[in-house]
Order: sequence, then structure tokens, then C-alpha cells
Amino acid sequence: MGYNPDKPMDGRLSDLGPPHYEQFFPQVIRENKGKWLWHEILQAGVLMHKSETGAEVYTVRVGSARLISIEHVRELCDIADAHCDGHLRFTTRNNVEFMVDAKEKVQPLLDDLASRGNKFPVGGTGAGVTNIVHTQGWAHCHTPATDASGVVKAVMDELFEYFTSQVLPAQCRIALACCLNMCGAVHASDIAILGVHRKPPMIDHTRISGVCELPLAISSCPLGAVKPAKAVVNGKEIKTVKVNVERCMFCGNCYTMCPAMPLADPDGDGIAILVGGKVSNSRQAPKFSKLVIPFLPNNTPRWPEVVNAIKGILEAYAAGANKYERLGEWAERIGWEKFFEVCEIPFTDKSIDDYRLAYDSWRTTTQFKYTSHTASYTK
Amino acid sequence: MPTLEHNGSSFQVDEDGFLLTGMEEFNEDWIEYVSSVEGIEELTDEHRKVIDSLQEYYKKNGIAPMVRILSKTTGFPLKRIYELFPSGPGKGACKMAGLPKPTGCV
Repeated sequence: MGYNPDKPMDGRLSDLGPPHYEQFFPQVIRENKGKWLWHEILQAGVLMHKSETGAEVYTVRVGSARLISIEHVRELCDIADAHCDGHLRFTTRNNVEFMVDAKEKVQPLLDDLASRGNKFPVGGTGAGVTNIVHTQGWAHCHTPATDASGVVKAVMDELFEYFTSQVLPAQCRIALACCLNMCGAVHASDIAILGVHRKPPMIDHTRISGVCELPLAISSCPLGAVKPAKAVVNGKEIKTVKVNVERCMFCGNCYTMCPAMPLADPDGDGIAILVGGKVSNSRQAPKFSKLVIPFLPNNTPRWPEVVNAIKGILEAYAAGANKYERLGEWAERIGWEKFFEVCEIPFTDKSIDDYRLAYDSWRTTTQFKYTSHTASYTK
Repeated sequence: MPTLEHNGSSFQVDEDGFLLTGMEEFNEDWIEYVSSVEGIEELTDEHRKVIDSLQEYYKKNGIAPMVRILSKTTGFPLKRIYELFPSGPGKGACKMAGLPKPTGCV
């Protein structure tokens, strides 16, 4: 039965939930669920899991752009039909995994993937750079300060060799969010790319009464910079808001709540780089990423400043860190002052926390190392 | 911005069909128009009660009530509100009452 717009509730199905995942298990996964003994990485992008029944499953991981067309999905299905009995899966970082149940089936699958140009790069395992978790950007969202897909493509092109190899001290997770709503993983990633504004919102008094619930806009501000105000529109006094520009830190929360307070600006907007976060509990507890570069411009379409900054940080980390050491663990071991020095990043006041619980992030010890930065201050 | 005609009344609306000037343009024709597009066959006293409650709260507080407050003041559990307004309290009831379009990550 087709949908009848005159009787929208007729024959309506709801609350069915997602299909049960076991419906889509490959045969070898279904038979060995809960029985896996060990696994190994055979080469970058290829894993093998051994079951207590003796069964083996070989997993080939390939990169994906996350934002993909139905034609691309159909091509993924063609590959799965040809090699994996029609089964495949997506990982939590939006890579695609093809699984086969015998070693001799791996090479034909790899050859097929390689024959399709650069669409399906094999990699993303072990101590490398896997896919970048990212957001909507200018493709779909209304609050971004930068693009998502464009920056991700530019960065992954530059770091591609780290996707297809496993030469880093530990895995390096890169994430991008196009505004500080931080959809995704930027607050807890080894390297995080974050869209930031640098100008306060503009207030459209002619629209604000109709489209905005003023108390929400006022309470959305983390610094209390938005206050109720009056304005005259077409000779009539209306209720509106004003922004104390001295208190505004351009977070854009008020625009999220109130469409009449836009703040996006082509020159003001750009990208901040944060580093040192992680979510696993291995060795050290999970960490938040910290701001190290406050602003880089939105230089479309390749964001060269952002790409260079990330490559510089990654190479300094690869050269300096011990085996198994995540980027944040390395930075804390050598000291953040040394991190800024070896990465050749200028330290600015923007990296000094000044929000509410800031005190705990300042140094309350005499333990520190002299660096090129301190040398330049004491000249 | 698009203008919408219904029974001789005209309304300024946005792309989602919310009144752009809020309750200033709200009238009976608007209620009738929204019920025709929201799949509401018969407008009952219960619908009126939800709309009146929303408008009263908005005039007093400048915001739409939270769902729990709407349920408490009208006495209708959320399930009943969905039966009355199939699109829900935001997209259905607030639109019909002439409140601003809900914002945030919706």
C-alpha cells in the first residue's frame, strides 16, 4: 500500500527498531560468535581471527569517504557479492570491512579492490592513521565554521601513507568537527580539527520576535553575554537581545537556539587544532584533547596551513614517542612546553585556560624545562 | 519569504510552514489550515486545550513549555499528545499554536 497523504496514520508502521544484527552475520561469524581465541594483523588493512573451532575469518578493511552515493554503496555490494557471499560491515570510524573465511580468498579480494582505482584503499589497522571521524560541514549544517569533507580529504591525501602502513608508535586518531558543538570525537582524539568563529553574532531585530524564544537565547550563553534588550522596528518597540561583545567568545550557541543571531564570517571563521585526547583505558586513563593552535584560516579547497600543521605534529610525534605511546601520553611525558618546542608551534595566550575551572590547568610547581619559548620570553 | 493563502487569510510562513511573525498572524483559519496539512481530521476540545495551554505559557514566559510541563498543565500524557497531533508537540502543536519553530539540535 502506498502512502496516502489524506490519511497519514492509515497502515502506519512505527517503533520497529533496527533489524536484528544477527540477520546479517556472515556464516563464519554466526557459527563462531563468542568463540574467538586470538587475532593478528597480517598486513596493513588485513586481519585474521582464529576461533576455538579452528575456523578463521580474514577481514579486509578499506577506507571510505563516509559521505557516499548509492552508486558507491552498490559497488561495495558488488564486491561483497563477488567475494563475501553478500556480507560486509562498516566500522565505528566509517571504514568498510569485507570478511572471507579462507586465506586463499584474500588475495583475489585485494586484487579486485586494487583494480577499482583509488576507490577502496586497504588499510586503517594497527599503529597508523585510520579514517577521520567528521561531521556535516558546508554540505548540510547551518552552524559550521569550516567544512568537513573538504578538510578531511585534504588531510587524508597528505597522510595517505600512514593509512596504508603501520609505522607510528601507536594508532593516531584524527577527528574533525565543523563547530564546537563537537559532534563526533574531537574532544577525545589524538589530533582534532575544530571549526571556530572569531566574531560575535549579528542580531536581526526585524526577525527576532517571530523566530526566536528569547529566554532560550539568553540562557544558551555560557558566559552570560546575551542580555534582554529593547529595540525599535518599524516605529514599534519590540523585545530583543543584546550581546556584550567583550564577554562573547564566539561559541555560536545562541545561533543554534535563535536563527536571528547568525555569526558565520568568511574571514573570522577558521580552524583550531587540538591534540592529545584518547578514549581507551590502556596504560593511561582517557584524556581530553587540548588546544595547541588557536586559529588557521579556511583556505579552500585544500586548507594547506591545516594540512601542514597536522603533518608537522604527526611527524614530531612519530619521531619522538616510545612504542605504544599515544600522542597525549607522549606530550605529557616530555612536558607540554617541550611539545610546543619540538612541534615548532608558537605558544599563545589562547592556549591558557580561562573558563571557570581554569586554575587546575595552570602550573603549580617549579618543575618545568627551559625551551626555545622560555628563552624568547627571557631575552 | 513565502506567503500562504487559506480561506481568504494570508500568512507569512517559513520553509517548514511555521508562522514567521508568530502569534501576530494567528487566527482560526491558521488552525484549520494546519490541521489539514498535519493529518488531523476533526478538531476537538482536547486540541484546543493543548493550543491554549501552549499560547498561554508562551505569552507568560516567552518560550514554549518543556514537554513534561505541557503534559502536566494539560493533563495529557505524551502518548495522547501524539494521538492528537501526529507530528508531535513541536512540529504539530507548536506550529498550530503559532509559536516559533523549535530550535537546537532537533
